[in-house]
Amino acid sequence: MAAEGLRVGIVGAGFMAQVHAESLVAMDACLAGFASRAEDVLDDVTARFGGRAYGSFDELVGDVDVVDVCAPTHLHHDLVLAAAAAGRHVICEKPLARTPEQARQMIAACERAGVHLLVAHVVRFFPEYAAARAAVAAGELGEPAVVRLARLTSGPRKAQDNWFVEEEKSGGMVLDLMVHDFDYARWVAGDVASAYAKGFAAPGEAGLARHVLALLRHASGAISHIEGSWAYPLPTFLTRGEIAGASGLLSWDSTETAPVRTALAGDGAAVGEVLLPESPVRESPYTTQLRHFLRVLEGGETPIVTAADGLAALEVAEAVAESLRTGAPVELAGAGARPAEVGA
Amino acid sequence: MRVALLGIAHVHADAYIVNLRAAAGVEVTAVADHDAEAARRWGAAHDVPVAATAAEALAGADAAVICAETARHRELVELAADAGVAVLCEKPLATSVEEAETIVAACRTAGVPLMTAFPMRFSPPMQAVAEMVRAGRLGRIRACTGANQSELPTRHRAWFADPDLAGGGALMDHIVHIADALRWFLGEEPVEVFALANRIIASEAVRVETAGVAVVTFTGGTFASIDASWSRPATYPRWGGLTMELLGTDGVTSVDPFRQYLTGYAAEEPATRWVAWGSDPNQAMIDEFIAAAREARKPSVTGEDGLRATQVALAAGESARSGRPVAIAPAQRS
Repeated sequence: MAAEGLRVGIVGAGFMAQVHAESLVAMDACLAGFASRAEDVLDDVTARFGGRAYGSFDELVGDVDVVDVCAPTHLHHDLVLAAAAAGRHVICEKPLARTPEQARQMIAACERAGVHLLVAHVVRFFPEYAAARAAVAAGELGEPAVVRLARLTSGPRKAQDNWFVEEEKSGGMVLDLMVHDFDYARWVAGDVASAYAKGFAAPGEAGLARHVLALLRHASGAISHIEGSWAYPLPTFLTRGEIAGASGLLSWDSTETAPVRTALAGDGAAVGEVLLPESPVRESPYTTQLRHFLRVLEGGETPIVTAADGLAALEVAEAVAESLRTGAPVELAGAGARPAEVGA
Repeated sequence: MRVALLGIAHVHADAYIVNLRAAAGVEVTAVADHDAEAARRWGAAHDVPVAATAAEALAGADAAVICAETARHRELVELAADAGVAVLCEKPLATSVEEAETIVAACRTAGVPLMTAFPMRFSPPMQAVAEMVRAGRLGRIRACTGANQSELPTRHRAWFADPDLAGGGALMDHIVHIADALRWFLGEEPVEVFALANRIIASEAVRVETAGVAVVTFTGGTFASIDASWSRPATYPRWGGLTMELLGTDGVTSVDPFRQYLTGYAAEEPATRWVAWGSDPNQAMIDEFIAAAREARKPSVTGEDGLRATQVALAAGESARSGRPVAIAPAQRS
């Protein structure tokens, strides 16, 4: 059973809740239990990962040190405010909230309560992304000029209650998927000054962009070219990156770096509800992330990603969504004026 | 078929002379360049008679290949059209839409074939994609990404980064190839361009943009990005490359027309090199030009194609300067 240390309670029992639970078990952290409206799933997850099945969110909050919010995006705001009001530290899945305004309220509430708000932008903990950022931070590429990021999948498939495809709940592909790369682009090239985007919806899903191409202009003048897709053919989860700097170039591609490639006769493996990129490393990036978060809460480490970063990624997502609606580039408030023009 | 080479500023002149000599029944009769000394050296190196002027080089010629700096294209095309010879002109066609239109009009009026040097139209991997799209295998194409990134071209020719001669920097240099391929694949015309550019790479060495990315929207709503950056370091195993990915309602395909290479590792620098073994698209392009000139017919890639791609590149430059999307007016597209 779980070791000494901070007692973590997971809110939610779905896919990401299970990923977090698996990581907490793997690192021998204290998984106190789960609270979820999906009561039928609660028994399954406690049987698999241990911990209690709390009868309510309030019951969980009363029994833990850390509330790990793995509920659907639109619920983050109310859950985090309640956890903060109870004086609990918060780990919150990305995106931090459904809207920037919600995130601002969450950040203020956690500051008032004196508790941490740690947003799970797990891409920062994926080894290839962390290594590329480390090369930039070490000055190996010089100043970033063009950052290219792609995250291409067939989209989340859930047999029932597929909140991912309900824009009111998830913010759609832009907020659920592309927010990873908005955050990463900021980590590599700094604040974003403007966003321009083009996208398309699936038939019968008017308004919900399934595939988006976004061009970001950073305050530094750097350009980010970001592709996000829930429209790629099955079974796909491609991630790609390239950072071109003043003195060097780095690139990566999940298909080219996959160390194990297998072809099976017949129909092949079944496809899960939500495809995740294969990253067979000793420790899952989700575990690395949660290990870091617990050390932050114990006072031993400075957060690699802050709630302010989570909010900034939401602001980029909001600008991208607005550009999709209007067809025009959208300036982000407070990001500074356009840098000196170049070109003939 | 007697071919005159007008201008040797473009690095492709060195390749085309080989392709022209490999084409059946072709004689390169003269080379001329505004830089007489450069022409003399080039003529000596490639064993081509040097003419004092472009007009002199055109005397007795059946066709002209123009590899001068972009800003000199119009003057040379007009000379060639007046001389009644078929013209193959390097890309981009001109440094302004007006000049590109003048080039097209001059050849139309003179009744001579005008071809724009878009070798990607003759690349077998690119042709395979064009056929796949045309056959509807991918359904309706909704979105594309394209990248035509290279090393800093000033390593080979300084004028590529001279805005007066090249009409711009990276955007002007590299947008046209993919802009043309997109028109070819989609069968649609560009209607709007948005672009960002910067000069973070080689910021001290040149005064034009060294990186730029454009998003082009087409008549049917399809959108495509073109990364035209000079973002490959000098140590890259090749000059750069061109890649495209097309997402349709029924599937996705990606193409890297320069992917057909051997990977070589040497004991000394450059340690890694890519040895191309794919079919040379330049040869097929030159062969088509010679055939069109011989048959006095429209080539498979035209001056209008060059004009339209040039419009996209120029609109990208304008958008990068203004920060706004730039419409390509329907009147310009006709």
